[in-house]
Parts: sequence; C-alpha cells; structure tokens
Amino acid sequence: MDKLAARTLQLNQKQTKGSMNQRYLFALAAVLSIARAQAQSTCASPLPALAGMTYTVDTMIGTDVPLPVCSSGGTGATRSEWFLYTATDYVTVTLSSDLTQNGNTDTRVQIYSGECGSLTCVGGDDDSGTGLLTVAIFNAYAGQSYLIAWDNRYSSSGFDFTVSEQPWDPTAISFTNQAVSTSGNAYAAVDMNNDGYDDIVSVTATNIRVHYQQPDGTFNMVDYVTTSADYTASWSMAAGDIDGNGFLDLLYGGGSGVTFMVANADGTGFTEVSGPQYVFSQRSNFVDINNDGNLDAFVCHDVQPNVYYINDGTGQLSYIQGGLGNTPDGGNYGSIWIDYNNDHKIDLFIAKCRGSNQSPASVDQMHQNNGDGTYTDVAAPLGLADFHLSWSSAWADFDLDGDMDVLIGSSSMAQGGHKLMRNDGATFTNMTVGSGFDVFGGTSIEWVAHDFNNDGRVDVLGASNTIHFNNGDWTFTPIVVTASSGPIADLNNDGFLDVLNGGTIRLNTGNGNNWLRVNLHGTLSNVNGIGARVAITSTLGTQIRDIKSGDGFRYMSFLGAHFGLGDDELVEQVTVYWPSGTVDVITDVAVNEVLDVTESLSTATAELPATAYTVSPNPASDRITIAGELSGATAILLDGAGRVVLRANAADGAIDVSRLATGSYVLNLVTAGGTWKERITKL
Amino acid sequence: MTRRSFLMLLAIVAIVLACRHEPAEMAAPVPPVDSVASVSVDLDQVPYPTLSQYRFFTGAMAAHQPNGGVLPYDVITPLFSDYAHKFRFVWMPPGTSASHVSDHVPLDFPNGTALIKSFYFDNVQPANVRRILETRVMIKRDGQWLFADYVWNDEQTEAVLDLNGRFVPLTWRDDQGTDHVQQYRIPAWAECFTCHKQNDVAMPIGPKLRNLARTVEYASGTADQIGKWVDAGYLQPGFPVPQPVARWDDPGTSLNDRVRAYVDMNCAHCHSEGKHCDYRPMRFAWQETANPVNLGVCVEPEDPLPGEPQLTYIVAPSNTYRSMLLHRISSTDEAVRMPLLGRTVVHAEAVELATEWINSLPGPCN
Repeated sequence: MDKLAARTLQLNQKQTKGSMNQRYLFALAAVLSIARAQAQSTCASPLPALAGMTYTVDTMIGTDVPLPVCSSGGTGATRSEWFLYTATDYVTVTLSSDLTQNGNTDTRVQIYSGECGSLTCVGGDDDSGTGLLTVAIFNAYAGQSYLIAWDNRYSSSGFDFTVSEQPWDPTAISFTNQAVSTSGNAYAAVDMNNDGYDDIVSVTATNIRVHYQQPDGTFNMVDYVTTSADYTASWSMAAGDIDGNGFLDLLYGGGSGVTFMVANADGTGFTEVSGPQYVFSQRSNFVDINNDGNLDAFVCHDVQPNVYYINDGTGQLSYIQGGLGNTPDGGNYGSIWIDYNNDHKIDLFIAKCRGSNQSPASVDQMHQNNGDGTYTDVAAPLGLADFHLSWSSAWADFDLDGDMDVLIGSSSMAQGGHKLMRNDGATFTNMTVGSGFDVFGGTSIEWVAHDFNNDGRVDVLGASNTIHFNNGDWTFTPIVVTASSGPIADLNNDGFLDVLNGGTIRLNTGNGNNWLRVNLHGTLSNVNGIGARVAITSTLGTQIRDIKSGDGFRYMSFLGAHFGLGDDELVEQVTVYWPSGTVDVITDVAVNEVLDVTESLSTATAELPATAYTVSPNPASDRITIAGELSGATAILLDGAGRVVLRANAADGAIDVSRLATGSYVLNLVTAGGTWKERITKL
Repeated sequence: MTRRSFLMLLAIVAIVLACRHEPAEMAAPVPPVDSVASVSVDLDQVPYPTLSQYRFFTGAMAAHQPNGGVLPYDVITPLFSDYAHKFRFVWMPPGTSASHVSDHVPLDFPNGTALIKSFYFDNVQPANVRRILETRVMIKRDGQWLFADYVWNDEQTEAVLDLNGRFVPLTWRDDQGTDHVQQYRIPAWAECFTCHKQNDVAMPIGPKLRNLARTVEYASGTADQIGKWVDAGYLQPGFPVPQPVARWDDPGTSLNDRVRAYVDMNCAHCHSEGKHCDYRPMRFAWQETANPVNLGVCVEPEDPLPGEPQLTYIVAPSNTYRSMLLHRISSTDEAVRMPLLGRTVVHAEAVELATEWINSLPGPCN
C-alpha cells in the first residue's frame, strides 16, 4: 500500500503543475486499478502513466503535434495528449488501447526519449491491436523517463489504454528506428563495394542511391545517375558481381522485362543493360546455374516459363527461357537456391501460386542440380508438390541435424495453411501441427529464415510484423516486432541482423549472445561465393548456411553467412564447400568477428610449370597480355592479403588491370590442366 | 543504344517449348482472293500476318468502315485502358450465330467468330491527330479462342501481327488542352491470356448480354444493340431479358452500382472463381458484388504493402486512407497498381468514384 500511496502522491503533484483548464480524476480501487484522467495536452506537461493502470483519454485537444512520427501512418495528426512513463527497473513496457470498451476507435501512439522539441523515437504503434487499436511495446531502462503521445492521425475520439510491465528478458531482442534518406525502392541491403560493411541500396528508374556503411556506423550517401531503366525494380531486386570486378551489379525485376545495372570497373557508375524480352518478373537471383565459375541470373516469370541469363565469363549474358520451370502459364513467384540434398550442388526451389482452383501452375517445384548443367524437378517424390499458394519459402536447418528444412509460408490460405517441412533426406515430413505455424493466421508474400536473436537457432520473419523464434524443438514462438519484411543485413556492424523498411532502419537491439559472420571470396567459384555451403561447429552443434542472392520475394539481403552462437565462446571449425568443389577448413575461430574466407587455389588443381605461360608487360599500368594455351582459362588476381581483386575470363589473353591500385599482385591463371601463378606489379 | 552495346549483349537463345498456349507459327498464308472482297477468316491460316488480310474494313482501313457482316458493338461499362478510345466489332461466319448461356458468362460464339477491338487516341502530339495503336483480334477455332494483336504503322495504313509486347511512347492532348505523356503498353501474348482465361482456358470478357443491353449508334441510326444482333442473325432469339449492368459514369445511378459495374469490367477478370488471382478474397463480378464483403468492405488484405501498414482493410468504410483498393487504383507502381495489366496511368475519374463511394459507406468496421 505504501507504494500505491506514493504513486497517488506523485500524480497529485503532477496535477498541480498542470494548466488551469485541464482536469483529471483519479480513483484507486482495490480490485481494479483504474485511473480516469484527462491527459495533459502539451509535451511540457504530461500526465504520469504508471504500470498496472488504465487511463482514459478524453477528446483530444492538445495542439503539440508529436514529431517525429515513430509509428506507421505518417504525418497528418493535429491533436495529441501526452503522458510520462518512468521506469524503475529494466522492463518491457506494453501500452495497449486494445480494450473491448474502445470498440472501433482508431488510435495511434508515439513513444519518445529526450526533451520536448528534440524528441527521439523509442517506439510507437498504429494497428497492432484488434482492428484499428494499438499495442506498443518498448524496452525501458531503469530510471529513464519516456514521453507517450497519443495522436489524432485518424480520430480525436476518447478511449482507454493500459500500461503494463514485464521483466526484460535479456535474450529477447527488439528493434529501434533509425531514419535513412532512401530514394525510390529501398530493396537491397548488401555490401556493394566489398569493404566488409553492408550498405543500403534504393533505386528509381534513373538513380541508384547507395548508403555506404562506414566503420563508425554512419553512412556515406552517394547517388549514381543512370540511364532511364527500361524496366524498374518494382517486383524484385537481386545483387551479385557478374564480372568479378569487386563491385556488385544489380538486377531489376520489372513487370514487363529485366534490367541489369552493371557496376563499372572502379565502382563509380552503372551501365544499363536491358533485354528486349517480355518477362513478368517475380523473385530474381544471381547464382552460378551451370557451375562454370561465372555468376548467372535467374528470374521467375509470372505468366510463362522461367527465364535465366547465362554469363560467358566476359560479362556477356545470354537469355534463355525453358529448362528451369516450364509451366506454360508460369505461376513462378519465389525462387530460392539452396542445397537441399547436401551434395554441394545448388538446387532451386520455387514457391508457386495461381488462381483457378488447383491450377498446375500453383504446384511448387524442386529442381535438383544434376551436376551436368541440367536440373530435374523432384518435388513430387520429396512430398513438396501440392497446390499450396505461396510466394516465397524460408529455408534453414531448423533442427540442427545437418540439412535444410523449410517453412513454406502461405500467401493465401485458400489451398491450405503454412507448411513447416522437415528434411528427412529422401522425403520431407510435415511438422506444422503443434509448431505454432498451424495456428498463425497471418499471410504474406515474404518469408525468410535468419537467426535474429543469435541463439544459434534460425528464426522466421514473415507476415504481420512477426518473428517466429525457433525453440529448437519444432516449435516456434511468434513475437510481434516493429520490423516488417524488408532487406536484412547488419547495418550497424554489431553482429545482429537488422531490417530495412523503406526509409527506416530497424536496428536490432541485440542481446548478450555471441555470433560469427563469414564473408566469402571466391576464386575458382564466383567471387561472392553464392551457392557455397558454410558449416560451423561449436558447442551448440553444427550450423549450416547456403550463400544466396535473393531470398523471400522481393528484397536483396546481405551476401554472406551469419551465425548466432548463444553462449559459445569459440567456433571449433568453419568449413566452406565452394561451388567449384574446393573445401576450405578453418579451425579455432574467435567469436563476435567477421571471418573472411578466400577460396584456396592450391588444393584445387595441379600447379603448372613456370614455363607454361608468359605475361607481359610486367610491371603493367593498363593491361597485361598472357600467352599460352588459354581456352577456358580464368585469371584471378589476389592482393597481398590474399583477397580476390579481379576475376576475369582470360580466353583472349588480355586482362584490364587499369583500375587496380599500385602494388604487387599474384596472378592465378586457372585452366582445365591446372593453375599457373605469376607475381605481377601494377604501376 | 550505346548502353545496350556496351559490355554485354543479350542474345536470344530460342528455346521452343511444347506449349499449348503458344501462338501459332507465323507462316505466310495467302488469304483466298474473293471477287466481292468479303471478310476473310480462314481458320487454317489465321492469325494472318497483317490486319488488312481479313478485310474487316472497307476503304482506308484506319477509318474502320465495317465490311459486310462486320457489326460494331459497344458495352455499357468499358475496361479502362489508359484513356485509349476503342472501336469494337464482331464478325461471324455467314449463317452462324451466338447463343445465350447466362447473363454472367460471355455468349457462346460459333467457330470462326472474330472479336475485333482497335485502340486509339485523338489529339496525339505533335501533329494533334488520331493515332490508332493496335487492333486486338480474338478468333474462335475448334472451340478454342486464339489471340492476335496487330500493331499499326505510323502511316496508319496497315497493322502487323506482333504478340511480343512493347511500349509505345505517346503524348495526347485532352479536351482541356492538357498534354498527357504515356508509355502505352501493347500486350504480349501472355498478357492477353492472363486476363482472358477461365480455369486456364482462353475466353472473351466483354460480350456478355448484360454488358450489351444498351443502344448503339449504327450507320442506320440508333438502335437497341441486342435487337440488332438478333436482326443480323448473330444471336439466337429466345433468351431471357438480360439484367443490364450499371453505367459506371452515370450520375443518375447509385454510387454502389456504379462501383460494382466498374470493378466488374476492370477487376473481375482476375478476381473471380477460376481466374488468375481467385485466391484473394475479393469477388468482383457483377452478380457477386451485391454482397459488400465481396467488394472487400471490412475485409483485411492478405497481401499488406511494404511501407503502407495503415491499409488495414481492402475497403474501410468512410476511411479512404485505410482502404487498400483505393490505394492500389491510385498507384502507378507496377507492383502495387490495380489492375495489374492494361493500365499504366491513373484513371482519375474512377479514383474519384471510389473515393466518393468509400466515404458514403457507413463505418467503421466491427
């Protein structure tokens, strides 16, 4: 009772500071803690809000417009009522107007730290409750005060809300907001310039805006004006370095065709390449389809057989339709390239969808890589071929048994709900019942699998701003977060995955768990290591990731492998299975670091004698010419740190080195007969 | 062009797919020469490489003067096609006629029928002239409809078969003198099929009796259209009197019926049972929209849009800001806009209608 009395006193003290025309009533009941109050109308005179209480906001009259807007719904509010919450401990606070007495009221709330006039967003919510009602959740620090502003973005009517506290789960994560001035479709979060920091890419028809992440966590914004893209990235975007020059190229999946934006040699501009073919693009990916070491591109076609672009190693792409999903009228929405059968050859799963009542175009496909450039659809024997309506699927080893399982999320429930499938080798077993996905009603075109809380178990982000946290036993706990589907990357380099939602970065607050990020640098394989399998072993067990360009439906997330490690302080072994067949093993890796792995050359092929080739001039300033038997040869230049700085088709013997920094490099010439090495100097 | 030639070339590797929906091979058929120059629809030869070979029109083809047996027709509420004007014609082989099945499905047309629709703009700049862009022809052969699309030349003398799809830059001036700059889309074959199908079978959309129950100005004067079809021998008599759809732009008709008519013609070809996108909850066909739930009123969208979480209902009564339908018909983003195909600019008058309608609905949702 002493504590309650103290609260009463505090409220009364606040009231005496309120303006004259404000009135509030306070009643304390033994059974129901209900405060009836007129919230204070200005930021400077908020009414205290206490946990365990219900407050009534009467018709909004305050004219302090809450800015910035932390919730969704944008600007437009003109009235507000203000409260002040002060945390006495580290707690998770829930503000809710989701109360039966509020009926159909349309509420919205902003939560701030800081001083009036210079407020900083902590949280906010529009519609997480029933209908148009609000449920806002934020983590509060002991002793810190938070301003709560209900606004009239939609309605000035009065309503009730509750304040409650829960102990702060130290392993739980949430997201804070950071604004970023994206322009157009903010569809990619990926390391564009190969400096080890994930960047943000937003595009319009005539501009590519890159926010380059700096080591200090800031972003350096650069606009690259482009020719007006024949096709815009409205349906999807993918990124990959098709010409091995160290700068990522982009693919715009448009409604009538496909445009490539190819980064030039020094990353200072992009050249548009648009095909004349009609492609109703859906998910797009970069991947080495024919395993020749060159990155190809794949695009789901909504209304025809899928299309792909085979790279000859000089950057020339050949358009092909047919062979990777031939349903005549398409239905292809969510392509994802993973190795489902652990043969270290990348396979293609396509989540498909179509109306017209069990159309063949809605039957999902698994194109198993035969290793000879051909693929065979094996979805039926695997138990993955049905009329389920899906636009994407989330692949991960959910049970840490060494193979890729899948959550095929529903875009519509018309042909059944979400499907959680356990990989049992020769077939998949439906694990949906009891998993939590069987009772989750949200639908989405976006489903992705990442470890958001770094506990070593891969989670699922999909519909309704919900992360399904993996409990490791084929059950998942759905938690509503502020982040919705978007490109995923580590946008503050803290080892926890963040989400980009348009002009807002949802920064993962993280927890005490450890992590490891592995970035790959292919030599014989494509430079991004797309299609590689990365396996790590720690006390938790063995975790696996497949490096992919393009997961979910629309967005391009980071390239690399991100692992949560829980309490584990050491990774005993990291194994990389490269698309080329090379296997690299690194032992005793420290945690909470980024590990760069360059594909080893020495173990891959026999070393050719020094006399096999000549290179001239050496030293060189612009280009070098290699003489010898060059059919099928690839030139790979490594810098002093062993990183790939250039990878190019060497069939004609001429290699442009003009963009390289002055210094010494090792040229690796890889041919069918073996590898030849020579040290060259760039002037 | 320079950007295309630099660094990379996209070469077509022709992959011929066994595909029952593929257009017929483009041979070079020679239509039968007929001394009276009557319409020619040789089902062994169609689609012809050029529009003129059908002889649907007499005189200068651009004038669209119908040849014998070619009957102009019109619908009560049309599909919006980026403000293009349209000429519509029907032709059936002599001695054949269509029969009525139900008000809610297209007429059952005889083999050999050609449905002809030309798309044009007036006051096209800089010459401020009429420009015909394309003539779409659907022909029924062996019980199946085939698509042909003829793209007009700049001289407006001929149109050539092309089912690859393309954009045509276009500036036209409206009655108020405002110029509209557009990228007019001529559809590829697969785009035709996406809308013109039911359970994966190609079909027409417009010629349902309920859409045709109106008067039309013929050369001989204004007449009841359905009566004209019967008189022409194109429609077997004995059908029940159709219940016509509303005119979407008739201010004397209720807002609700105008909206129902608009979504019937503009949206129902995807959002009906057996159609391309029937897995979404909307049911937009005229006979289904008496129930507001089928219009999406107070129905939550299954496919929320990135960055637009305020769109909590497909239609939120009295709340345009929260209505997904209004947002989508107001957008030109090709991954957001509705209809998905056949529109690149906003139909401002339809947005105005939908806004007025949403504001007239009692709300909010329970």
